[in-house]
Amino acid sequence: MNKYLLTAGVLFALGTNVALAHVTLETQEAPVGSTYKAVLRLPHGCEGKATTAVRVQIPEGVISVKPMPKPGWTLQTKKGKYEKSYQLYGETLTTGVKEVDWSGGNLPDEFYDEFVFRANLTADLPVGQMLYFPVVQECEGGAAARWIEIPAAGQEEDELENPAPGIKLLPKK
Amino acid sequence: MSASTRTCIDDWRAARLFARLLAVILLFAAMALPDRAFAHAALINADPVDGAVLAQSPARFSLSFSEPVSPLVLNLVRPDGTRLVLTSYRLDDQTIEIDNPETLKAGTHVLSWRVISEDGHPVGGSVLFSIGAPSAPPVAGEAVDWDLRSAIWTGKVLLYIGLFFGVGGAFALAWLAEDQRCGRRFVIGAILCGLVAAPMSLGLQGLDALGAPLARLAQPVVWQTAFATSFGWTVLIALIALGLGLLSLAGPRGGRKPLALAGLAGVGAALAASGHASAAEPQWLTRPMVFLHGAGIAFWAGALVPLGLSVRQQSKDAGAFLHRFSRAILPVVAVLAAAGIVLAVIQVQTPAALVNTAYGRLLLVKLVLLLFLFTLATVNRWTLTAPAEAGATEVQRRLARSIGAEVLIVAAIFAVAAGWRFTPPPRALAIAAAQPVSIHIHTLKAMADLSIVPGHAGQVAASMVIMTGDFGPLDAKQVTLVLSKPDSGIEPIKRPATKPGDGTWRVDNLIIPVPGRWTVRLDILVSDFEVVKIEAPIDIRAE
Repeated sequence: MNKYLLTAGVLFALGTNVALAHVTLETQEAPVGSTYKAVLRLPHGCEGKATTAVRVQIPEGVISVKPMPKPGWTLQTKKGKYEKSYQLYGETLTTGVKEVDWSGGNLPDEFYDEFVFRANLTADLPVGQMLYFPVVQECEGGAAARWIEIPAAGQEEDELENPAPGIKLLPKK
Repeated sequence: MSASTRTCIDDWRAARLFARLLAVILLFAAMALPDRAFAHAALINADPVDGAVLAQSPARFSLSFSEPVSPLVLNLVRPDGTRLVLTSYRLDDQTIEIDNPETLKAGTHVLSWRVISEDGHPVGGSVLFSIGAPSAPPVAGEAVDWDLRSAIWTGKVLLYIGLFFGVGGAFALAWLAEDQRCGRRFVIGAILCGLVAAPMSLGLQGLDALGAPLARLAQPVVWQTAFATSFGWTVLIALIALGLGLLSLAGPRGGRKPLALAGLAGVGAALAASGHASAAEPQWLTRPMVFLHGAGIAFWAGALVPLGLSVRQQSKDAGAFLHRFSRAILPVVAVLAAAGIVLAVIQVQTPAALVNTAYGRLLLVKLVLLLFLFTLATVNRWTLTAPAEAGATEVQRRLARSIGAEVLIVAAIFAVAAGWRFTPPPRALAIAAAQPVSIHIHTLKAMADLSIVPGHAGQVAASMVIMTGDFGPLDAKQVTLVLSKPDSGIEPIKRPATKPGDGTWRVDNLIIPVPGRWTVRLDILVSDFEVVKIEAPIDIRAE
């Protein structure tokens, strides 16, 4: 009985937190210096049109990105230089994935899907702050929804029309 | 003694008529004609914009007008009410760039301006802006000085009397009446009246230009200012015309005709030198039209009093006078009316403006008076003139009375026309209404120059130039214009802008439903993953 109540409570809490019409990440917080599995949730297309591509920009401080291939979609990554070098398992990394693209697919507006990648959140990311992953959702007929808005200082995320999905950075475990 | 050699005994009656006329004018003066102070050259843009809140003291101010202007008085009223006279400025076509000599402290400031436009009329206004945060605005107002207005109006009417009845009368005596003496005193009186009114009007123009009260009339700066306006030319030419008219009456016989003719031309030239109608485009058309209109009025109005007195007196050559006048008057009135119609069409533009604007309403009053005048004149010309020329006594009396009525109507028309001094023509109002509102939005990441044309509620088009925060080129992928007015409960109006290829972004066929202060936001897509949003308030005028 308690278990059911707890589940209901968690669902309720999540349900009020997450604006379901936006593109969001399933796990909304993660500790720095850890591996994070990002599950990007696409609730709908662009104003009724089917989604044909999803592109995610990887923010600075997120390294060793490995996207999960998806049947029916072409997976590509764009690599580039990091702003600084990072240490990972004794290795120095200065370049890596800056953008992940799933393209060539077709996700009708009435269906839901998830896009997954795994990444390492470096330890020097600012704890307590939000980390945003801007997403461009491309649709049929050249339409696009850009989930790329990052709230300015003092601005609430709710005020944004197309907020970028983000996670809250927790202290290193 | 024959009527042709003695002084016309009815001349004193003319003087009495003149006194009555003055009484009518003063009555008009007592009635406040227009009910609002209208602008002639309209302020179309100011930097800082009215209501702006600035982070720091600006290095300069700028004011842009609908037509070229020259500044008369530029003041900055500080939050504590103290006044700083701004003397360092540059004129760049329709824009005045004003240097700010001091670092402004926090609070609301008033940039008070008074400029003179091409048509010689001064306009004033204020722009409020705040440093840091708004405070209670200091007191700086533009009240209508009714004493001054009445004085200006009276001066204008008296000047019309001097030019039209006086100089026009001198012309009639020289060219139509030959050695007629009837009306001579009246004409001399009218010219003297004009000789007093002309400099008086100049001084009043100076006061109006500076926004100074009547008490400052004696100050030299008032007169210097007045001379610098286009009205200075009007007064100068009017004085010459009045002088020529007087000389033609007093001078040698041989010089009478050319002097009177030059005087009549001077009347037209004086009127063409300033005023709304002369300032209108196209100048090659309006100035000659004003000249013809003015000279035509002087010919007609000037002849009325001497002719009426001559007919009434049944002087020997009244018949000849009447004959010459009635032969010449048709083509003169045709030219006068044609010029008047051309000017009215240019000034009023749309029939609706006849009713909607103070200028149009004055024109309607004038048209009604003209209707009476033309009716009288037609009766005089086609039913009374021939028997009167033939010497029918009863008809001559009727004609004299009828001419007397014409004189009164003409005087009333002068009174109405002088009221135009205070009302901008619909032409100028339309130019002002069609002006865009423009704002400059500047942030660290991006800046934009946005113009909404026309700057009033209704169907408009928006044009934007987007740059980086440091004035570099910004090749945006996409620009979206978002207009919102939360206080009116209007949800954001969102329109994607298009790129016509000239470096600007445009939104056409945009409807702004209500006037007032809107918030305009530009969503600039810099790259696929980066959007910059900049916003600023914009004041949309009522239609």
